[in-house]
Amino acid sequence: MAITDLELHSFVRLPTIADVLQTLADRHAASQKTVVLAGGTDWVVEQEMAPPHKPGAELPMVVDISRLSDLQTIHLNGNLLTIGAAATYLQLRRHPHIGMGDKRAALLARMAQDLGALQIQARGTLGGNLATGSPAADGVAALMAYDASVVLQSVRGERTVPITEFQTGYKKSVRAPDEIITQFQISLPTHYNWYWRKVGTRRAQAISKVALAGVAVVESGQIQRIGLGMASVAPVTAALRNTRSYLCSAPLHKLTGAELDAAVNSDCSPIDDVRSTRQYRAHCARVVVREFARSLGAPV
Amino acid sequence: MNLTLTINGTVHHVEASPTARLLDVLRGPLGLTGSKEGCGEGECGACTVLLDGDPVNACLVLVGQCEGRSILTVEGLAHGQTLSPLQQAFVGHGGAQCGICTPGMLISAHAYEKSTKSLVTLRESIAGNICRCTGYQRIVDSITQAEHEDRVQTFGTVGS
Ligand SMILES: Cc1cc2nc3c(=O)[nH]c(=O)nc-3n(C[C@H](O)[C@H](O)[C@H](O)COP(=O)(O)OP(=O)(O)OC[C@H]3O[C@@H](n4cnc5c(N)ncnc54)[C@H](O)[C@@H]3O)c2cc1C
Ligand code: FES
Ligand code: FES
Repeated sequence: MAITDLELHSFVRLPTIADVLQTLADRHAASQKTVVLAGGTDWVVEQEMAPPHKPGAELPMVVDISRLSDLQTIHLNGNLLTIGAAATYLQLRRHPHIGMGDKRAALLARMAQDLGALQIQARGTLGGNLATGSPAADGVAALMAYDASVVLQSVRGERTVPITEFQTGYKKSVRAPDEIITQFQISLPTHYNWYWRKVGTRRAQAISKVALAGVAVVESGQIQRIGLGMASVAPVTAALRNTRSYLCSAPLHKLTGAELDAAVNSDCSPIDDVRSTRQYRAHCARVVVREFARSLGAPV
Repeated sequence: MNLTLTINGTVHHVEASPTARLLDVLRGPLGLTGSKEGCGEGECGACTVLLDGDPVNACLVLVGQCEGRSILTVEGLAHGQTLSPLQQAFVGHGGAQCGICTPGMLISAHAYEKSTKSLVTLRESIAGNICRCTGYQRIVDSITQAEHEDRVQTFGTVGS
């Protein structure tokens, strides 16, 4: 679809989440297509790239969710951080528990700082980042490091899915067509170390060649809990399961670089594409994991 | 669809498809051609406007998403024929050459002065604005100078 076709879509802005869910359910039952639109920073760009619209073919109806305040609430209750799916990156950066104040979830703000530039951060959302399903999604990598849960809602009810189980393949997920992502839930450790490293062509607006988000709880010289999320090294955001188990398997001083590299290699399957090569990505993946492990005290 | 938008402080009613890009409605029916289209995909920042105070790419926002909201474009910076201190600094310090990036650059710089300074550095505030001419240093100099002049202002007007 060329950009001039954009205007042909029908559009609604509904007052509540319940109205959005009902519209999705009704249209799905009638086999009509619907797209929920948050910041538009993925969807509008996709429309520009798509081939021209064929006259007569059905266009999805656009349902604007960018202004539903219930979908934008960010809230900390004890250690449980809840983030509305339509909260923007700028909201994360400005939030008194994320980018400001006590910074309990500093990793999210650090990730947000590297995502696009301010103009993208003012519009883009974590819900859109996850729903698009790109393996290069930085927000998803950070949510995975926190082992976040994804809350999905439809007229049929609500369910919660671990973020590591949300994506089922390249651009495929467990989300049903009548469901929307409403929020992310993160159980924040009281004390933890975090890590964020994005390897891209330049500081702003660069899609990751590789990005690593990490969260670790270290006690008495050993990692007790670790969360990792890596972008751009597999068809979906990589949780690096073997690397996680290896890092927790022994006291930090007993970990070795060679074994760590082997675990990372077994967790990644990077590809060659316009942005980088398989070889360079695999190299970066090993280097950033080592850097995180070193920051925790491992001699790697 | 008839849409109501507050643009540069004035309420406008405009007939447009709600799924048209904000940029096209500004440049088309509203006749505000200050905002430019460089890339049309969020990369260059030539289309930057403020939406309720924050910088956005008008090429990625659907106009229906802006119903009832406030937009500031480059046309809203000057007071009549008098350029804002920021615009004057761009003139005085060579912050504009070909001028294509300038409207977006001025809006990002304006956002930095008014709201994002506590969050970002000056260079980060214009990281989403590409300039092919100046090499950025003169733009940074212009914004820095405007900030300075703002602090040492020796006269002014209160009220209207
Ligand atoms: C110049 C530029 C730079 C960028 N840089 C980065 C970057 O550095 N890192 C990165 O990860 N991404 C980047 N992106 C991609 C994009 O900004 C992010 O993925 C962003 O998080 C998308 O959110 P959105 O709200 O704009 O999504 P939208 O475009 O509004 O939506 C995207 C898709 O998700 C669906 N959707 C949105 N919200 C929900 C929901 N709550 N429930 C169900 N489905 C939903 C929509 O239907 C649509 O299919 C960049 C984009 C641009 C244009
Ligand atoms: S035209 Fe909008 S960012 Fe380039
Ligand atoms: S002055 Fe020409 S692009 Fe910036």
